[in-house]
Amino acid sequence: MTAGIPPDLIATVETHGKAVAAADNRTVLGDFMPDRIGQLIASADVPSVLKGSEVRNIAAVGDGLYDAIIRYTKPDDDSFELRSRWTRFADGTWRVVSVRNIPDTPPWTSLAGPSDDGLDTPHWDGLRVGKLMLQRCRDCAGWIWSPRPICPSCHSFRLGWEQVDPAGSVFSWTRTWQPFTPESTGHLPYVVVLVELDHAGGRRVMGILANADGVTPRIGAEVRGEIEQPPDDAYWPLVRWHLVGEP
Amino acid sequence: MTGFRGATAVVGVGATNYLKRGTSELSSAQLVLQAILSACADAGADPRSIDGFVSYAGDSSEGLAIGAALGVREVRWSTQVWGGGGGGVAAAVNCAAAAVHSGQADCVAVYRGLSEKTDGRGAFNKGHMGHLYSAHGMLAPAQVCAMRTQRTLDVDGVPRSALEAVSLAGYHHAQHNPRAVAYGRPLDRERYQGSRVISEPLRLYDCSRENDGATAVLVVSADRASDYRGTPAYILSGAQGAAAGWTESAENEDHYTSAGFHPALVKRLWAGAGITAADVDVAQVYENFTGPAVASMIDHGLCPPGPAAGEFMTVEKLTVETGRLPINTAGGNIAEGFVHGIGLVAEAVRQIRGDSPNPVAGVDISLLVGGPMAPLVSSTVFGSPATV
Repeated sequence: MTAGIPPDLIATVETHGKAVAAADNRTVLGDFMPDRIGQLIASADVPSVLKGSEVRNIAAVGDGLYDAIIRYTKPDDDSFELRSRWTRFADGTWRVVSVRNIPDTPPWTSLAGPSDDGLDTPHWDGLRVGKLMLQRCRDCAGWIWSPRPICPSCHSFRLGWEQVDPAGSVFSWTRTWQPFTPESTGHLPYVVVLVELDHAGGRRVMGILANADGVTPRIGAEVRGEIEQPPDDAYWPLVRWHLVGEP
Repeated sequence: MTGFRGATAVVGVGATNYLKRGTSELSSAQLVLQAILSACADAGADPRSIDGFVSYAGDSSEGLAIGAALGVREVRWSTQVWGGGGGGVAAAVNCAAAAVHSGQADCVAVYRGLSEKTDGRGAFNKGHMGHLYSAHGMLAPAQVCAMRTQRTLDVDGVPRSALEAVSLAGYHHAQHNPRAVAYGRPLDRERYQGSRVISEPLRLYDCSRENDGATAVLVVSADRASDYRGTPAYILSGAQGAAAGWTESAENEDHYTSAGFHPALVKRLWAGAGITAADVDVAQVYENFTGPAVASMIDHGLCPPGPAAGEFMTVEKLTVETGRLPINTAGGNIAEGFVHGIGLVAEAVRQIRGDSPNPVAGVDISLLVGGPMAPLVSSTVFGSPATV
């Protein structure tokens, strides 16, 4: 596993794993690229007490960068893995430029559910019963998204909601690395896709792309949504998107 | 052209220093008052003679409270432009000019102030990215603008180098501006490209970062401009708005990679000033993020669309020593400081009035482009005395 890997990197990664397991924060922070310490601290979800570390793999990924996978063991013998990316810093030492929990899991945020004006309430209620619901005018049949108080096309007040097949294509996307909320810790980076729906007049909805670790989405790629139930009642179900033909 | 052209002028500019966010000892209102008093000193104006107040983007310093603190003789005009972020910055200037031109007020202060201790984090965004965004981890304007920029790059074919040029041009100009947060901290290609990713394709130096601070300008009738000190910057035209299908819609805007300055708006802007895009001598281009700034320059016809944008958007062509169209000559939001773009108003005016850290020789037309990719967008054309 270490053929062709610089010996000083192997040693640094080994020491780094032990420092993380020992909560030796000074050593850990010293391994971080100095311009992004805050981003790195908030990227990975690491329990405060660990009892061991094991370097599972180090591999070259090009441009002088190396990915190290380290498995950490918790006091109850449960374990998890982090993958850190290393580069040689100007001072000659090896530094972490990014780190993430693997496998990737999507974030859940508490900023979900019906908005204050209540316009989107049926959308959220639909997710609770496993349906993607969008607003549609009962008079002119136009799809309306985001929701409006009246139909912008025909000014009808008779607005309804209809289930939409969660199928479409990637209109655009972004992979977020910055921890904009503590709730994203352990899930960074994550990819959000803007999906142009096939069966709702080209209306577009956002959502997390599942299994996006190492995947660069292509604009136009076909995606299919699955409604994922939240870990607990504090959160709302959400449509997660999957590239068609991918696991 | 209409009677609006050249009927009003900015005769005073005032600003506080840019402070690291959360460090100002002064409240937002105190910062605003400091900026207004400084603008009055610049103009030689009696602060009590201000009779109108205009701000934008949910400013916590309401005009009436500011007027009361100044002890003004009378408030005749008090307006805030709707829409989050900096989309309304030029609209605020236009609104003040409209008030003065129509006789509703004589001397209107346009201002924006921010102190994180008063306003909290993310004041640019309050109430504008609802749960249809946040539930999916879309929490910051950087992510929205990143998503739009991704399509600008991938589908429209604008090269990444255009984004880099915006950032580097601002940092270049900031090296001559002691007030700039990036003064003494030059940025080169290597550091730009090596900076951490915020939300792909945007890196750290593609992003503006909020400061504590405030800026104010005074708008008066052109007929009375000579009552004030210094060279007036005449307001030749202004435009604000949102096209059909362009408003708050959870990323369902038509013309998604546009910055929102639709053709009819841009046509009105140039027609009002009696100029074309080619007549612009210097531009302050609101860069909440570099990608949207490039899109707004394309919308205005200042820069060609698609791959050709890369040939136009270079540091050499956008900086004052060598460029045909210098942009963000005080450093812009990214390198001078960011209080929702109000600093760009000051610099657009100073290019005519004097006191720019990077004066462009012989400026007649100075353009202000407000916040791009916002639900509401706006621009203002300022002219030298020779243009009226």
